[in-house]
Amino acid sequence: MAAPEPEVVFPAAVSDLEWYEESEETHAPQIELLETTSAQEPPNPSESFCPRDCLVPVVFPGPVSQEGCCRFTCELLKHVMYQRQQLPLPYEQLKHFYCKPPSQVEDLVKKKPWTTAETNSRKCQQTLAELESVLSHLEGLFARTLVPRVLILLGGSVLNPKEFYELDLSRLAPNSMDQSLSTAACLRRIFRAIFMADAFSELQAPPLMGTIVMAQGHRDCGEDWFRPRLNYRVPIRGHKLTVTLSCGRPSIPVTAWEDYVWFQAPVTLKGFHE
Amino acid sequence: MDQAVGDLKQALPCMAETPTVHVEVHQRSGSTAKKEDIKLSVRKLLNRHNIVFGDYTWTEFDDPFLTRNVQSVSIVDTELKIKDSQPIDLSVCDIALHIFHLSEDGPTSENLEEETENIIAANHWVLPAAEFHGLWDSLVYDVEIKSHLLDYVMTALLFSDKNVDSNLITWNRVVLLHGPPGTGKTSLCRALAQKLTIRLLSRYRYGQLIEINSHSLFSKWFSESGKLVTKMFQKIQDLIDDKDALVFVLIDEVESLTAARNACRAGTEPSDAIRVVNAVLTQIDQIKRHSNVVILTTSNITERIDVAFVDRADIRQYIGPPSAAAIFKIYLSCLEELMKCQIIYPRQQLLTLRELEMIGFIENNVSKLSLLLSEISRKSEGLSGRILRKLPFLAHALYIQAPTVTIEGFLQALSLAVDKQFEERKKLSSCV
Repeated sequence: MAAPEPEVVFPAAVSDLEWYEESEETHAPQIELLETTSAQEPPNPSESFCPRDCLVPVVFPGPVSQEGCCRFTCELLKHVMYQRQQLPLPYEQLKHFYCKPPSQVEDLVKKKPWTTAETNSRKCQQTLAELESVLSHLEGLFARTLVPRVLILLGGSVLNPKEFYELDLSRLAPNSMDQSLSTAACLRRIFRAIFMADAFSELQAPPLMGTIVMAQGHRDCGEDWFRPRLNYRVPIRGHKLTVTLSCGRPSIPVTAWEDYVWFQAPVTLKGFHE
Repeated sequence: MDQAVGDLKQALPCMAETPTVHVEVHQRSGSTAKKEDIKLSVRKLLNRHNIVFGDYTWTEFDDPFLTRNVQSVSIVDTELKIKDSQPIDLSVCDIALHIFHLSEDGPTSENLEEETENIIAANHWVLPAAEFHGLWDSLVYDVEIKSHLLDYVMTALLFSDKNVDSNLITWNRVVLLHGPPGTGKTSLCRALAQKLTIRLLSRYRYGQLIEINSHSLFSKWFSESGKLVTKMFQKIQDLIDDKDALVFVLIDEVESLTAARNACRAGTEPSDAIRVVNAVLTQIDQIKRHSNVVILTTSNITERIDVAFVDRADIRQYIGPPSAAAIFKIYLSCLEELMKCQIIYPRQQLLTLRELEMIGFIENNVSKLSLLLSEISRKSEGLSGRILRKLPFLAHALYIQAPTVTIEGFLQALSLAVDKQFEERKKLSSCV
């Protein structure tokens, strides 16, 4: 790993800070969530926790925008990859360390055989580039269609992953005209619920695995980066964590989801160790 | 369940007057169209082209919907059964449409976690896989090996679907292919798995092919090998538990797993090996009870396989080196491919063996080249399929070395390459 510049101090939860910072610049119409509203807290998360299949319900007190849903997905993906040790540092930190001017790196490569630090940096840059492309295409997908469900699959194959993480967005009311909640506040709520459920602590250290992202979208949304998987069915084995989001309003009836099919990201994210 | 049985019946060749014609529809990988819509359009297409002569593939369509969503529509496997290809009237046939998407992810590996190391014990494909597309058609055999295998597995699956009491009628789903190396046993297994998955897509959502690396099941620790085998099969059991999947277990070179018991008695094999054989046999007995599993095995040396294993295999099919007729077909497909890629230029029409037969092997302008090719095929008898598929490449590398060549020039080079093969073989055998 490249030596960190001494003047940069990283707090333990840097990504937490990110959400705070970005909360100000996101969408104009916002209802800031009061942190003290405990009425909608998930009904005692410790009760719904079981070691293999972990369900984390999160209830929002109002509607959430499509962009918000996209943010949740992206942040969950980054979080899972870091927590499951596919990335040595949280995404934002990695990005900070390794996004050096490319010319500098190239010069080094030309002069002498690669040192481990350089190979690491190359691996890391590749991983970051892949992850970034998935994140940006997720934004595209969310802009095209409602996305009722997202799966993050680790290890094994698409049909038999070792671990899978599910984000259920189907119970959120469709993006209505009225004001939606602040994305940052919702993110805090989601991640607090995940931490409370303690979903990651008792898993043993995994080897490097491939990470595949799947998302449901409308059949006719015209998506051309994600590949449709018409026959796909959510796997039944493997370690599972489901995060269900709802907003206390009547959701879209199940029949409306019939025309929604699974799409698979065409790249498998390969993590790296240092 | 009843509906599933109905589907199976449809997939089986029925003895009634209306023969079933299988039509495979390869849906584009980016297409999200509904199966029903595609079925409708394909039926329209087939109505317009009522009479077909043997297998046929459409890749271009008038219907923009089909162009957008479908890669190809193929009438398949009509030539496996009917020797004299008569025109087929699709309007009187039962048409079984199989619409499939190819899975483009490559193989994934199944790992067995030992305390200190990670052993890759199997490769794992989700079928139908892009890698195996076209493999079935590239395998040419004389006797009806392909249709036998297909029918056999279909029957086995029907029996298990109908819950035939296996104490009264014994059947299992273990196939053993044996024969000399290079005859396409492993390829045939993979192709068969792909084919069956496509045929049974209405019943199973997808197929899984697990290729076991037999050598990795032998542990470096004495007495641990048997446990590794058990662990491996435990993973397979997990896959089988998913009733939506049709699981194919391919054990290549099965003799390396099961050859040991006799040798053990002779004292040349450690007793650990006998445990592996026993473990494999019991595990196979365990999983073969499930209706959605087919065990495919191949072997070069049948005599060395444990009798207990050979006994367990229901179908033991010998796969020999191709005959002259099959060699002709193989060469023909190779030449077609080279003409398509414009390495052989200009393009010339070659006759099939049947067409040659029909004109009574009389030499004229049209048949001259084909007769030459059939001459070369006769000369190449005794070469294995693997070498045959390599020969066009060798011919080009050794005797042509030009970006384009006429077909006459190429056939000459091919003939020289065949001679060279036999020469080399002679040298090899004289060395030994």
